Amino acid sequence: MPVLWIALTVLALAAVGFLVGRGRALSTAGGDARKLHSLPNYYGWNVALFVLVPSLLTLAAWILIAPTMIEGRVVSLISEEVAADADARNLMMADVRRVAAGLDLAVAQGVMSAEEASDLRAGENDIRGRLAEVGVALGDNVTTAVLAAAQRYRVLSSASSLWMTIAVLGLAGLGFFYAWRRTRPDYRARNVVERSILLLLILCASIAILTTLGIILSMLFETQNFFSQYPWQDFFFSTTWSPNFRGNSDLGILPLLWGTLYISFIALLVSVPIGLFAAIYMSEYAGPRMRSVAKPMIEVLAGIPTIVYGLFALITVGPLLRDYFAQPMGFGQSSSSVMTAGIVMGIMLIPFVSSLSDDIINAVPQTMRDGSLGLGATHSETIRQVVLPAALPGIVGAVLLAASRAIGETMIVVLGAGAAARLDLNPFEAMTTVTVKIVSQLTGDTDFAAPETLVAFALGLTLFVMTLGLNVLALWIVRRYREQYE
Amino acid sequence: MDDARLTERHLSTDETKIAAKGVQVYYGDNHAIKDVNVDILDKTVTAFIGPSGCGKSTFLRCLNRMNDTIDIARVEGDIRIDGEDIYDKRVDPVQLRAKVGMVFQKPNPFPKSIYDNVAYGPKIHGLSRNKAELDEIVEKSLRKAALWNEAKDRLQEPGTGLSGGQQQRLCIARAIATSPEVLLMDEPCSALDPIATAQVEELIDELRAQYSVVIVTHSMQQAARVSQRTAFFHLGNLVEYGETGHIFTNPEDPRTESYISGRIG
Repeated sequence: MPVLWIALTVLALAAVGFLVGRGRALSTAGGDARKLHSLPNYYGWNVALFVLVPSLLTLAAWILIAPTMIEGRVVSLISEEVAADADARNLMMADVRRVAAGLDLAVAQGVMSAEEASDLRAGENDIRGRLAEVGVALGDNVTTAVLAAAQRYRVLSSASSLWMTIAVLGLAGLGFFYAWRRTRPDYRARNVVERSILLLLILCASIAILTTLGIILSMLFETQNFFSQYPWQDFFFSTTWSPNFRGNSDLGILPLLWGTLYISFIALLVSVPIGLFAAIYMSEYAGPRMRSVAKPMIEVLAGIPTIVYGLFALITVGPLLRDYFAQPMGFGQSSSSVMTAGIVMGIMLIPFVSSLSDDIINAVPQTMRDGSLGLGATHSETIRQVVLPAALPGIVGAVLLAASRAIGETMIVVLGAGAAARLDLNPFEAMTTVTVKIVSQLTGDTDFAAPETLVAFALGLTLFVMTLGLNVLALWIVRRYREQYE
Repeated sequence: MDDARLTERHLSTDETKIAAKGVQVYYGDNHAIKDVNVDILDKTVTAFIGPSGCGKSTFLRCLNRMNDTIDIARVEGDIRIDGEDIYDKRVDPVQLRAKVGMVFQKPNPFPKSIYDNVAYGPKIHGLSRNKAELDEIVEKSLRKAALWNEAKDRLQEPGTGLSGGQQQRLCIARAIATSPEVLLMDEPCSALDPIATAQVEELIDELRAQYSVVIVTHSMQQAARVSQRTAFFHLGNLVEYGETGHIFTNPEDPRTESYISGRIG
């Protein structure tokens, strides 16, 4: 039975279980819902949950585990030299799965009978030709070993599928019966249902956390590979970045880190004052009508894809800066520059700073403003001396969040600042960042065993640690200095 | 209530500090204060009492033009402090508020140190020439607010770390520091426990020697304890105004009598 059908059957059973559970609860209470411990629907949900949860968990586990177990059995049929080499084994297993799937398809379409499919001989029958008829293209002719393995694979899979159907539907039925038996007026169905909702919430929270953990682990693993091939002192302290796919590359992170920090710095120099002043105007001076128009307009900036900002940098800001600033002042000829990327990125970050700061300034209680105004302070003195200090931790948090966005930004840098790794103070010179180099090291024809490719993971991990550090710092500042308003 | 004590109360002065005539306040379409006339005496504690929403806080906020900070509020009529019209175009509300200090219902110390909280007003108005003078103002204000002994060793700690009663006294010290002539208090004890309330009330009685104090309160006992004159507001009207002892023992208006005897409110 296909998985979809199994799942639908279980769902149908759960729906029936809901109605039956509800009905039984009512009938055992003599039709008077007031005698029940919980509302009738809770008894229904209770039965439905007992049907759904164990059976669907088993289904999921089976789908995840069964293929590996089947492959483990099939691999033993393949010659040992192939089985010893991981790459060759993977290729071989791909073939086996293809042939097996092809045969199944052929039987399903009626091109072959079931007996015919299981009695095929590699030498005698033109398996490749027969399978091509049903639309399965094979690379070369099927060898005896592969065919044997494929046949074995088919047998094991169909057995697995059968047992899976039995186990899942059996569990669903058992759950149904168990919950139905327990449905009595004094059964605390509400508590059971609410507990299972709690479990669902915990599950979702842990999925989010575990994914982060998984990302870190995968990066760590590849980074370790990189450092086994390339000395870490050179990576962290070398000032040249010149990857060379024939070997002998210089993979120093410093020029990239410099570019990242330089561009982010300029971006923050643009976005923090503008964003903060916009937020102060929005929250303190603007009337409700102005605010209701201007705030969404500013936030539109946050919704523009970064590639569009990149185009803006490439065709507008870059040439503008070159023609009116860099060339006349003798700073360089390049239209892609740190300045271009920094300014455009700064514009992108304005809504991050302004929106968060606006919320934080609004959260400062009115009594605080009244207190200051009541002492004869002007509106602007009140903002500078009372409102902003009270909102400062939140504003710092907003700025640090914007900073970690700036550090992780890629598209604007590619189009605005170019791809030349360089250590230079001149802001009108093209430079590049860590993220851009991660992309360029991983795109194109790459060898995943070479340090030139693996360096991307080391770069990524460095970046991750940096932004994580910034985020932790931001959270710490916000918590440490947050004013507790009653 | 100790009626004998009430009637013994005497006023230390008969000089009018604030004279309000025909004051009307509108919040949008809502007519919040209807034609209020009142003369508030110098060096006296005047209590505004009345049920919630009767306009007593609104009227209080007219006296230092705090209603200006609310967009939809509109004030009409004539309010004079020492004979000077405070709603005159030439009067800067900011200067006025330095002269008419205000203490709010909920203690609202700024997120600064105790010292900076008190020094805030003097700094803004440039009342001190050097650090030593500022120190002196801070100490004097804290002493007047009866907070000096508790706070002198922790002047650099945040004002928000004090207890509720201490915070309210800090706010009073902050208001005193600009050397105002009038002190407005909008239910200053409603967020405090009885012990802190007693301390603040004692303080109010001492402040009377130097300032004209106007206090809005929900507690009639409090009004009776601290004030020399009482004004009773009802639905935006000033119903009755006179000596506290007189209002509480011998009210002329039936509404006042109903309110102080607990029949309406």
